[in-house]
Amino acid sequence: MTYDADLNFNYFAPTKVLFGKGSLSDLPYEVKRLGHKAVLVTDPGVVATGMVDQVKDIMGSTLSGIYEDIPQDSGMEVVDRGASLALSSGADVMVSLGGGSVIDTAKGMCIIMTEGGSLRDFQGMQILTRPQTPHIVIPTTAGTGSEVTCAAVVMDRQQGQKILIYEYFNTPRVAILDPKMTEGLPPNLTASTGMDAMTHAVESYCSQQRNPISDGAALHAIRLITRYLPLAVSNGSDLMARGQMQLAALMAGWAFSNALLGLTHAMAHSLGAVCGLPHGLANGILLPHVMRFNLEETPELLADIAEAMGVVTQGMTKQEGGEAAVFEMEHFLKRLGLPLSLKDVGIEEGALRPCAELAMSDGSIIYNPKMIPDPEEVLQVYLKAF
Amino acid sequence: MAKLDVFTQDWCRAWEEKVRASQDFAVFNKGWEGDIGCFIIKDPAAGLPEDQYLYLDFEDGKVNAICMVDREKAEKAKFIISGDYIRWKQVALKELDAVKAMMQGKLKLKGNLPYVVKYVKGVQESIRCLTELESRFPDD
Repeated sequence: MTYDADLNFNYFAPTKVLFGKGSLSDLPYEVKRLGHKAVLVTDPGVVATGMVDQVKDIMGSTLSGIYEDIPQDSGMEVVDRGASLALSSGADVMVSLGGGSVIDTAKGMCIIMTEGGSLRDFQGMQILTRPQTPHIVIPTTAGTGSEVTCAAVVMDRQQGQKILIYEYFNTPRVAILDPKMTEGLPPNLTASTGMDAMTHAVESYCSQQRNPISDGAALHAIRLITRYLPLAVSNGSDLMARGQMQLAALMAGWAFSNALLGLTHAMAHSLGAVCGLPHGLANGILLPHVMRFNLEETPELLADIAEAMGVVTQGMTKQEGGEAAVFEMEHFLKRLGLPLSLKDVGIEEGALRPCAELAMSDGSIIYNPKMIPDPEEVLQVYLKAF
Repeated sequence: MAKLDVFTQDWCRAWEEKVRASQDFAVFNKGWEGDIGCFIIKDPAAGLPEDQYLYLDFEDGKVNAICMVDREKAEKAKFIISGDYIRWKQVALKELDAVKAMMQGKLKLKGNLPYVVKYVKGVQESIRCLTELESRFPDD
């Protein structure tokens, strides 16, 4: 790997990480360190697992209330309503328990709890000028990486688009990675959320904004995901594999929040907004196709990815190494039993053109390694994945 | 060519002419609607004793205006970009990419981010035109 001689970058990763089986028991101490009482934000799926009761017991008197109605692809109105409930409960700390949608909703709530108004008033980038409500994240999936990023994606139904909120001042203060909290995740969700993490790692490693620190995190995340995701899918009770996947997702989160992402995410966000396709599933299907699309720009970087995935690239040209990465990623998806085409998940071909148009205005597309001037090029990638 | 003092109407007019002459801008900005208010935050130590307000009005690949305005006018723009004087100077000297500056919190964007992303090449081209000017800064 090589870097520009005038390389310069900021690296921002302020989140305290508590890792290990039983680390959840530190939650009330972290709440007290950051404030007085916390609102717990979660979703009905997590409630059904019994984990919410467990967290309630551990939080004891530090819990002010629970907001548990977070849907998949949560929206601005959910954020505004939740913030109002949290403030009326007397909370000055946020605890989120769930996957990406829950964590991102909680991030939006943190802004409104501090600044007031509606999340719609805070559209933009880095517009906040002071630290927001302290946020402790307990992920129940290993994929989003949102527990350590300053980014949140929230659906704006008025505009029919997922909105990116990117604010250093709103980065979670603490991430509690307790492998037990992901133990009950079914194999299909373990696989698709794991592919979200893989996509973060691959796209940040190939981003125009990559840097040596994010590269280190991304490549190690790829190694861990390659080794441990199949184990976590085949045996959900393997807490060693679960824990390593949590760490991989976190490292990939650090990587992409500093190096940013690429075309796969722009396309997956659009499929989510237009067709409601779950994010990890969309990323998995699209990733090898976008890698192939970017191959001419980044053969060397893709060859590094192949190596991180265990392919012996010695003796290969850069081009061959890059092609090996694409091949290996397709093979990996098959091993995980994930769908390989958009048709397999019920997407209609007619939806792809509006998705391609929408992807052009997604923040993730800016630092894709290959410039994309025309939505027609995006459409061609969608059609290959169809 | 003589250097032009930044944040003056002459400097704005020269920049406006550059953007107007750019074929790339006309293509990349096609479809854009909306004005941009730029807040340049004062830095007395660098010779900028008061905040400055720059106003850019682009429409469908055309330039309606680039001029200095008062705060009230700049605040009414569809998009507001604000930042310290030194950051704007770095952008104007090609030392700092404007989009990267926003990502890193060196400049703050208020407004519909996806819309800006869709036209980001137009924004970058308008800034490239600025970097062609011989600008004189207060602390030069």
